[in-house]
Amino acid sequence: MSSETGDQQRTLHSQTRRLLSDGPTHTNRRTGSTGRIGSLLVATLTLAGCGSLTTPKPKDPEALAEYNEANDKFEPMNRKMYNLSMTVDKYTLKPVAKAYVWAVPRPVRSSLANMAQTMNEPVVFFNDVGAGKPRRAGDAFVRWCINMTAGVGGLIDVAKYAGYPHHDNDAGLTLATWGVPSGPYLFLPMMGPSSVRDGIGYGIDTGLMPLNYVPRGYGLLTFNWAYNIVNTINSRADRIDDLDNLEKDALDPYATIRSAYQQQRKALADSIKNDHRATVPDWYN
Amino acid sequence: MIISLGRRRLFSALAALALGVTFSRPAAAAEKPADFVRQLGSQLVAIVNSNLSPAEKKQKVLPLLQQDVDVDAIARFCLGRYWNVATDAQKTRYLGLFHQVLVNAITDKLGDYRGVSFTIGATSPVGEDKAVDAILMRPGQPDANMQWVVSSASGAPKVVDVVGEGASLRLTQRQDYASYISRSGGTVEALLNALQRQIDKHNTVAGH
Repeated sequence: MSSETGDQQRTLHSQTRRLLSDGPTHTNRRTGSTGRIGSLLVATLTLAGCGSLTTPKPKDPEALAEYNEANDKFEPMNRKMYNLSMTVDKYTLKPVAKAYVWAVPRPVRSSLANMAQTMNEPVVFFNDVGAGKPRRAGDAFVRWCINMTAGVGGLIDVAKYAGYPHHDNDAGLTLATWGVPSGPYLFLPMMGPSSVRDGIGYGIDTGLMPLNYVPRGYGLLTFNWAYNIVNTINSRADRIDDLDNLEKDALDPYATIRSAYQQQRKALADSIKNDHRATVPDWYN
Repeated sequence: MIISLGRRRLFSALAALALGVTFSRPAAAAEKPADFVRQLGSQLVAIVNSNLSPAEKKQKVLPLLQQDVDVDAIARFCLGRYWNVATDAQKTRYLGLFHQVLVNAITDKLGDYRGVSFTIGATSPVGEDKAVDAILMRPGQPDANMQWVVSSASGAPKVVDVVGEGASLRLTQRQDYASYISRSGGTVEALLNALQRQIDKHNTVAGH
């Protein structure tokens, strides 16, 4: 018993000694760990370069044109993420979304969708401002005001009937209007098709969402959670038929999603760029 | 005498036909793409909104597709660079399969909608073709922005592409096929077999 305690004390002492002796070389150790992370990064990049995560560029000019059109440098990695997401979706979100459609009547679902859209209107507004499109920003602002009041907290899209239909905008598109290229295509797990630029944009949008800054109390945090969950289920429910059709009609659903996503993002960015309407609405003049 | 009369009749009939063709051609070419799309669209919408059974709707839509959609041109576009490496037999087989796949894809969706309407917007040039803006309105769903790309290369206006919310259907299809081919050994044969399987599957589902 006593010898055991003695052993423990000895171990403790030696540990303390080692700690103390290591004290002065603390900075060295930190450089070491940074170096280790750096070499890990280099190794990962080399691995990526070797082709386990990226597709090699084809030599044939026609195949190269096709490769450039697809804009999918990280295809092997993206396909893994796609397969993973689809499998998880099949057993989690899809059945939930189907049950939601089955259990919740359409008017309620569209009200919740309206609310989600209205709550997101500030993000659209900030991005419209960022893109330098005052008319669009005004539309988003008016939509938020009308729907939050007359539309009972966003549940009814009154603004649409008042002549202010919804328009999309997000930070990925704002960056696009600034001339930031999309970068390679990315399939983000559980989030779907994206690109380097749009992925960064997603992070910015999360920061622009006022609902993410709600204080504790008043049930606002609960509301934020409920909002995010309902929004996720609702938007998945909207896509049930589309995704089912896609899996039936497409020979390579991954490539079809990739193609449609990139075309639609480009078209959206172009439509924002080409919106040269006057700043004030007609009735103002 | 009888023969000559018959022949004369035949000639006059042919002449009339030729005249008819020459007169109707310029008329067709002069027809504005927007009017063409409006006409085709209202015919399609009338069928979609009718109370006919899915089979009857399909029967009514088929002639419209044959007449107003350039399926061969779309098929060639969708095969992309592989069209040049395909043998004549493969091309023929591909065109046949593509027709069926396209018809299945369109007619499958006919039964899904009711109370559909549309408005026609501006026309803009896309290369040598014309793109006609349209907004499709469906009850309980957000309005869909579409563009119908109309080509008059064959003499009469024909639809060669539909762009839905910025995504061209033929371009999306081409990238789907290209990706499938390159992942299945790079042969056109693999694509043809896949299309055949798709059609077989559709027929068995429809048969049940």
